[in-house]
Amino acid sequence: MTNSVIETSSLTKDHVSHFLRKRFRVVDGLTLTVERSETFGLLGLNGAGKTTTLKLLLGLLRPTAGSATVLGFPAGDRRALAKIGFLPENPYFYSYLTGSEFLDFAGLTFGIAKQERRERAEQLLQLVSMSHAGDTPIRKYSKGMMQRLGIAQSLMNDPELIFWDEPTSGLDPIGRRDVRLILHKLKDRGKTIFFNSHLLPDVSEICDRVGVLHKGKLVGSEKVSTVTGGGGYQNLEEYFLECVNCEGAAR
Amino acid sequence: MTNLVGPVLAIARNTLRETVRDRIVYVFLVFAFVITLAGILLGSLSVGQDLRILEDIGLATIAFIGGIIAIFVGTSLVYKEIERRTIYLIVTKPIARWQFILGKYLGLSSCVLLVTFAMGAFLLGTICACSHEHVINPLLMESVLLIYVELLFVTAIATFFSTFATPVMSVVFTLALWLIAHMGQSLRDLARVSDNAGVTRLFEAIYWFVPDLAKLTQVRADLMYSRQPEPELLGFLLSYVLAYIILLLSFSTVVTERREFP
Repeated sequence: MTNSVIETSSLTKDHVSHFLRKRFRVVDGLTLTVERSETFGLLGLNGAGKTTTLKLLLGLLRPTAGSATVLGFPAGDRRALAKIGFLPENPYFYSYLTGSEFLDFAGLTFGIAKQERRERAEQLLQLVSMSHAGDTPIRKYSKGMMQRLGIAQSLMNDPELIFWDEPTSGLDPIGRRDVRLILHKLKDRGKTIFFNSHLLPDVSEICDRVGVLHKGKLVGSEKVSTVTGGGGYQNLEEYFLECVNCEGAAR
Repeated sequence: MTNLVGPVLAIARNTLRETVRDRIVYVFLVFAFVITLAGILLGSLSVGQDLRILEDIGLATIAFIGGIIAIFVGTSLVYKEIERRTIYLIVTKPIARWQFILGKYLGLSSCVLLVTFAMGAFLLGTICACSHEHVINPLLMESVLLIYVELLFVTAIATFFSTFATPVMSVVFTLALWLIAHMGQSLRDLARVSDNAGVTRLFEAIYWFVPDLAKLTQVRADLMYSRQPEPELLGFLLSYVLAYIILLLSFSTVVTERREFP
């Protein structure tokens, strides 16, 4: 049995502009493997194709070419989605619901029983330090509170695989620290984590391995321990910059 | 089985919450109550037909305001999810597209049911208040139920258009289709009187393509004259509307299935 949780092969995605029908490549022949219990960080500049890659893995977008399997199923398969937790970048929720109602809704979509939903919602609100705001309508939430709720909903089904897009975006230093602690807890429980981030110190602290995406191409993939411990780089930033500067030269 | 029904119920309940917490529904509801009360004024201008006028105006109000709510809320039902990006949190869960569409539809249908019931109850209360001796037409509520059946159809059209068109365009399309659906016989008459074979074929094609709700309106009118329709006719009309609803929801599912969420 393979130990790979995510496998992509020459994954390619083209976007077509609405007006002139001009085609431009967003993800270009991405071949990537993420192992079970690994924490993988996908790095890249704005517009590098990180979010598009994530959307391809979740089945929100269909690839132009190539293939992707997640948890042994084609990307977007409902059997895989049942074991996945997803936090989109700058998450939006139903403003007319309260935080607790939204978590209950999320739990119900996974077919979780009522009592279990209630208990899990309470635990997760506690985990993201939002117990005080469970009964507050989401429209009154700050950006940081929305992010915390997004994290909570992504863990509602106790997922095997976690996709987080910019999880520390919009959070203050305490919020960022809290997210790092949550990620450490999830790592300790053997969860596979795939996340996109711009914040290299966070990635350096949490990830086992990183991939650098530049103009849709994977230009580097390396273990963080190798990069920071005797890999010839002072820190992850130096590695990242070198990968981006040596565009196309996959390491 | 739970996995099939659970997500549908989750989305339906969520949609119902969304719609009943929307102030616009209450604005329309108050408007409907005001028009119904205006029926008392208009009835007083008639000679001995005041309650009949009140009934007619009340039922027309239920049909119209119910339709407006179904259209205005329904046409933004799916579009709003995409626009506000809340759809990301739905389609990345183990929910089939048909469950999403059915849940949305059932949620809005439940809201329309509540609104129809509220307007029906208000009409009944107004009739009772206007004349204590008046024997309430026992078929009045049956007539309200038939209005609801029609509103279920309008909701399905609105849901269908909301899967691919902007809310403004969806409102236009839904209103147009709803209106044409009441003009089935006129379309056939137009086809018959035209000398141009092409025009005849065009109107015939539109007639066969667009649902015909005129008969449903006719049955409703008959009910108000205490004429109970044949059960076969009623069964046929209900099956006819149900078939169209299934067809529209199936099309909505296909559109959503083919869609990407960039």
